[in-house]
Amino acid sequence: MGNVISVGLGECKVSRSPDDELVAYGLGSCLGIGMYDPVTHVAGMVHAVLPELNHNEVPSPKYVEIGINTLLDEMVRNGAVRSRIITRMAGGANMLLNGSLTQSFNIGERNATAAHQVFQKLNIRLSAEEVGGNIGRTVRLYVSQGRMTVRVVGGKEHDL
Amino acid sequence: MVDQPHFEDEKALSVWSALAVEAMKKAAEGFSGMIGQQLSITQPEVKMLPFTEIPNALGGPEAEAAGIYLRCDGDIPAQFMLILPYEKAFEICDMLFERPIGETEQLGSLERSALAEVGNLTGTFFMNSIAATTGLKLLPTPPAVMVDMVGAILDIIVATTGGVSDSVLVLKTAFQFNDREVKADFWVIPDQKTLKKVVANF
Repeated sequence: MGNVISVGLGECKVSRSPDDELVAYGLGSCLGIGMYDPVTHVAGMVHAVLPELNHNEVPSPKYVEIGINTLLDEMVRNGAVRSRIITRMAGGANMLLNGSLTQSFNIGERNATAAHQVFQKLNIRLSAEEVGGNIGRTVRLYVSQGRMTVRVVGGKEHDL
Repeated sequence: MVDQPHFEDEKALSVWSALAVEAMKKAAEGFSGMIGQQLSITQPEVKMLPFTEIPNALGGPEAEAAGIYLRCDGDIPAQFMLILPYEKAFEICDMLFERPIGETEQLGSLERSALAEVGNLTGTFFMNSIAATTGLKLLPTPPAVMVDMVGAILDIIVATTGGVSDSVLVLKTAFQFNDREVKADFWVIPDQKTLKKVVANF
């Protein structure tokens, strides 16, 4: 087992140490976005919480667009080459199945939509994703090989 | 920001403590009515906790748990979450269905609906108690039950409060039924404006 680095709410972490595993635990409506440069072996992950920044709020990587930009900048600053970066994403679930509550809380879906828009704007191709549904996910990115996995409650870790 | 009361304020905490004690008494009455037997709830211990500490208090963000969630609209918007680690949820089901301890091993639809009722009763009695004390109007939503990772369940609150550093009000209490006791934590997350209003109307 490698050196686990937890990527908490609104955090963005980058590593180039082969022993490290970047992990965002128990994502519900939040997104875990992973980036990896297979040549320089730089890996990074952001744990985004909200689709957009409202006025009066302090900019932070917890907002999808800022989170993706921060992650991209940090990747490049640590030696990744933008054109080589592999981007994958998981999370964005809708945890509430109750009808009346669901409508006002489809934050998971809004997070995923916001991320897709940002990727398009930045001309980033999303290599793989596992979003939506109504299930929590733990997302793990292994720095050594760039393997990214997803695990759900009662399930086995599988490759994304 | 400066003139808003914070959870850390002693006055706010004492007001909410008083409300919580009253509310839990009422909730126990409601339960007893539901199951036709005397169920009591011990006097809650009330404290404030930074939101980021909740996952750790429940065994980590990947730990599995059952969450019962209600929202309330009206004069004082607030959220209410009863969150139970798996084993506690099993214990509560054993107790409610009068099963031998350890018999409940999974949360099927029957167990989930019993848990929803537990959250519903406690939540609505809590809200009723606040309404009665302050004269403010509260409209609770039906409960939603989630069985998943702690982090995923809590995302609901994170996403709606938008906060990473906000504090929440925690009511630690225990359900007692015959000679059994199950400890449980309730998390009450009033909006900032709600805090102010409740304290002002107390």
